[in-house]
Amino acid sequence: MTQPGLLVLLAANFTLPQLAPWSLAPLAMGVVFALLLAVLGRVPLRYNVRNLQVRWTTTGLTAVAFVIVLGLLTMMLAFVNGMYKLTEQSGQPGNVLVLSEGSTDESFSNLGFSDVGDIELQPGVSRNEENRPLCSRETYVVVNQPVQVREPGRPNGRFTQVRGVDDPVISGDVHGLELLPGGRWVGQAGVQKLADEQEAIEAVVGEGIARELGRDRLPEARAKAKNPERIDVGETFPLGGRTWVVVGVIRSSGSTFDSEIWAKRDIVGKMFGKQGYSTLVLRTESPAAAQTLKDFLNKDYEKASVQAYVETEYFASLSETNKTFLYAIVVVTAIMSLGGIFGVMNTMFAAVSQRSRDIAVLRILGYSRLHVLASFLLESLVLAILGGTLGCLIGGLMIHGRQAASIVSSGQGGGGKFVVLEMLVSGDIVAVCLAIALVMGILGGLIPSILAMLIRPLESLR
Amino acid sequence: MGHDNTILRVTDVHKYFRRGSERVDVLSGLNLEVGEGEFFGLMGPSGSGKTTLLNLIAGLDVPSEGEVWVGSNCISRMSESQLATWRTRNIGFVFQFYHLLPVLSAFENVELPLLLLPLSAGQRRQQVETALDLVGLKDRMWHRPGQLSGGQQQRVGIARAIVTDPLLIVADEPTGDLDAKSAVEILDLLEELRSGLEKTIIMVTHDPRAARRCDRVRHLDKGQVVDGSALQGEHVEEHVG
Amino acid sequence: MKLLGLMLKNIRRNWIASILASAATIMLVLMVTLVWSVLSFLDQVTAEKSKDLKAIITERWQIPSQMPYSYAATLTEGAARTDDDIRPIDSMTWSFYGGTTDIKNRTLDNTLFAFAMEPQKLRTMMDDLDSLPPDQAAELDAAIAKMDENRLGTIVGLDRLEALGKRVGDRIKLFGINYRGIDLELEIVGTFPRGRYDKSAVIHRDYLNAAVDAWPREHNGEEHPLAQKSLNLVWIKVPDSDAFQKVADQISSSPYYSSPAVKCETASSGIGSFLDAYRDLIWGMRYLLAPACLATVAVVMSIAIGIGVRKRQMELAVMKVLGFRPRQILIMVLGESLLLGTAAGLISSWATWYLVNNLLGGIPFPIAFFPSFMIDDGALWWGPAVGGGAALLGSVWPAWSACRVKVSEVFSKVT
Repeated sequence: MTQPGLLVLLAANFTLPQLAPWSLAPLAMGVVFALLLAVLGRVPLRYNVRNLQVRWTTTGLTAVAFVIVLGLLTMMLAFVNGMYKLTEQSGQPGNVLVLSEGSTDESFSNLGFSDVGDIELQPGVSRNEENRPLCSRETYVVVNQPVQVREPGRPNGRFTQVRGVDDPVISGDVHGLELLPGGRWVGQAGVQKLADEQEAIEAVVGEGIARELGRDRLPEARAKAKNPERIDVGETFPLGGRTWVVVGVIRSSGSTFDSEIWAKRDIVGKMFGKQGYSTLVLRTESPAAAQTLKDFLNKDYEKASVQAYVETEYFASLSETNKTFLYAIVVVTAIMSLGGIFGVMNTMFAAVSQRSRDIAVLRILGYSRLHVLASFLLESLVLAILGGTLGCLIGGLMIHGRQAASIVSSGQGGGGKFVVLEMLVSGDIVAVCLAIALVMGILGGLIPSILAMLIRPLESLR
Repeated sequence: MGHDNTILRVTDVHKYFRRGSERVDVLSGLNLEVGEGEFFGLMGPSGSGKTTLLNLIAGLDVPSEGEVWVGSNCISRMSESQLATWRTRNIGFVFQFYHLLPVLSAFENVELPLLLLPLSAGQRRQQVETALDLVGLKDRMWHRPGQLSGGQQQRVGIARAIVTDPLLIVADEPTGDLDAKSAVEILDLLEELRSGLEKTIIMVTHDPRAARRCDRVRHLDKGQVVDGSALQGEHVEEHVG
Repeated sequence: MKLLGLMLKNIRRNWIASILASAATIMLVLMVTLVWSVLSFLDQVTAEKSKDLKAIITERWQIPSQMPYSYAATLTEGAARTDDDIRPIDSMTWSFYGGTTDIKNRTLDNTLFAFAMEPQKLRTMMDDLDSLPPDQAAELDAAIAKMDENRLGTIVGLDRLEALGKRVGDRIKLFGINYRGIDLELEIVGTFPRGRYDKSAVIHRDYLNAAVDAWPREHNGEEHPLAQKSLNLVWIKVPDSDAFQKVADQISSSPYYSSPAVKCETASSGIGSFLDAYRDLIWGMRYLLAPACLATVAVVMSIAIGIGVRKRQMELAVMKVLGFRPRQILIMVLGESLLLGTAAGLISSWATWYLVNNLLGGIPFPIAFFPSFMIDDGALWWGPAVGGGAALLGSVWPAWSACRVKVSEVFSKVT
């Protein structure tokens, strides 16, 4: 997944089903428009293609402008798509997430011990084979972790998300998380003695944070490690002034849990001064049951004031930053496309003035103004599609499946989760990029084509 | 001069342009008739209005006054788009500088006018090959203009003019840019078209050798047809020397 | 000089290409100006200063940092215990209070997040507010004076004020969100000058502290849940990095701050940790977006100049015949592009600087805790510089082909 540059892998990873009709509409319109031009304009397309070949430097440069603009757009959209995937895929529709009332973010939430014990006994909460409630009791903290290996231009600390859980197995079950082979969940004690008699906190880490921690390893530890990409079972890392040992790695689920470190709650709570619970996640029979339980806890439950969310809703609400980025991308794309449009326009103006004789001959042979317009507009579209496709492809190859750090948040009063996401080029993105390329081609080609249309054949042959 | 089978009739045609407040008359009250199957020559000094007349006949321009009839159509009353359609079917144009599209092969250049007609690819191919065969360039049909000599390019130009089987072939100094040998070949070809295919050809020329091939030559001066062999003699000397 | 005349003539003669290339350059330099302004601001705030540097003291491990207010008195002194210990030049404390005017229907618009602090410190410790132009300073000072008199006073950023639908002089009641049950009656006494604090608000720390202290009297002697967690941040200012190091040591060696433990770091380092989450985004802006814009400028210029050169082949050949040397032709073509690019870059960056800073009040791109970014003053020179530079780069090839025009070939081609 992390090897870019391989078309095969790209094809294998390509999420074609993810083609929403709305994203196809502009592309389809563009394609229909191009086809219409091809049918209306009788000038053979090979005339345009060969002219593009003849003026290959200008053609090439114009295509390069398209490649840059659309390659960049593809990358930016893949990044935001990764963020949206993360917020959409995190959480289970049948889970109810409980925070203390008024908290919009887990890190601000404080639930009392007694409340937690009562909430998990409420009707609607599923139970496992041992008849224990499927309730994940969690203390979520964001910890400042100094970076071991200082790289130039990088800060010397980062924020790491640690989730203390009472019963890791049940919690893993509730969240539907699996460990990679060779790992196990944190044991009852939550600590173990290392070979050098040092006591280490047992931790299960998400694949995303495992990569981050893997990068942080001291050179000698990295040299010895069996997995150069990420930290693996048996390796240690420092956090909060203690040594932690990885006992399991959570299989990537494309959720925010990929960026978390899990350990025993009583250790985490004590270490970081958060005695109570921050979060309670309850498994129910079905999404409908989750909705019922949520409503009950918010409206009718009186023993404690809590704020319940269906888990998927909670994560969906963390998309404020995504929106900010998307908005920024729209602005960036608009500005850069304008630059690109002016570039194409220049190319097409030159094409028209160089070929005014050709145009005159065509007109004399009986081709109408509309035919000429269509021919030049089509040429601009060919250029746009060529450059756009190449840009999309290059951008996609460079970025698809790569990991990037980011933040997702609800935009309210800070908070948010620091996440490692996978940048994903989807069918939607390709469709949008190609549609934008077409629009750029049309806008850039229109005025020069009109100019071509207005050429007076007799005068330009003189 | 009357013909029973007149194919072109130009009656009392005026063409003038405005240059500021001044009116510049190019053609003033010109009358002309050309019969079907005639190889007709137009001569005259620069600025005499030859090319303007030719453009009116070919439907590239409309007269300021008067009428131009080709066959049963009064083309001086057609709109621009009607003219465009009309040209495709009825006029074959041969230019002094050939004006082939440089990026297209001989075949594709000849095919261009056919693309506007409702023909299948097979029909087009057949017509193009026939036309190129006629001008003797079938073996070069995939060459681009840049790979052909001037005479060959002009032959492609002629093939393009006849490929739609037009009513009139209009040639504007077709030998003007050619060496003597090529010019003879082109004139032979035009004569052949007239005699073999009974095409009507209207040719503007400066070249007395070309003019001699015509069935009939008319001279234009200051926008009017003037006749007289003296004038013709003058021209012969002017251009042969 | 004569060449300059020729350059200008050519630019004018080829006006469509010139205008289009300039327009493209203007758009792309605009993008570069925006991107570099954001980056240069982030670089500034994360650059370690050696003099007059600010440091932040927070809870050591956790965010959000929540320390007992009892830490404030000694932390603002840099945990100095003896006369030999270093004391900060200045300091301030921050407590975050979030409240809403409508507890039942909370929206982003009716919610206000405020720093509870000493009003006087606004002018000495807050970035940007410590270096205001005189008129703005006077206005803010007046508002601060009102807060000093009346601890119910609040200063609210213009954007927030608008979202709340309130004006200076209005009273508002805030229902506590994080300080559950602690509701504050506030009087809006002023606003911040446009810019960095448009979305912020400040309340008097004494007002919040008094409310927290009063809580047990009405709740059977029980403390408010946040009573021991009401100090979020302490800022100190120290003269130089040596002093900072000593103060940081004093704090970390003090036995007083054990539960929770605290850390002292320079403001730039603290901000840096937050920005780590954005590192790939920032990397992309720095190494993909900005260079891509510049590359596009070069490409567009190359197209425009290339077209001009091709059109003028004949003329260039004539110039050669007339005795112009290839070098002069090269300089002429490069100069055209340089002129065009520099002019477009200048227009773009100056206009952006003026419009964004004076009319728009910053680029609204909220990342980390910076709601918007101002256009860097440096843009005034690097706009024209990058415009010209990229254009120059783009015209290298056309200029080279122009100076290598072969006279004989050009003349033979024309019939």
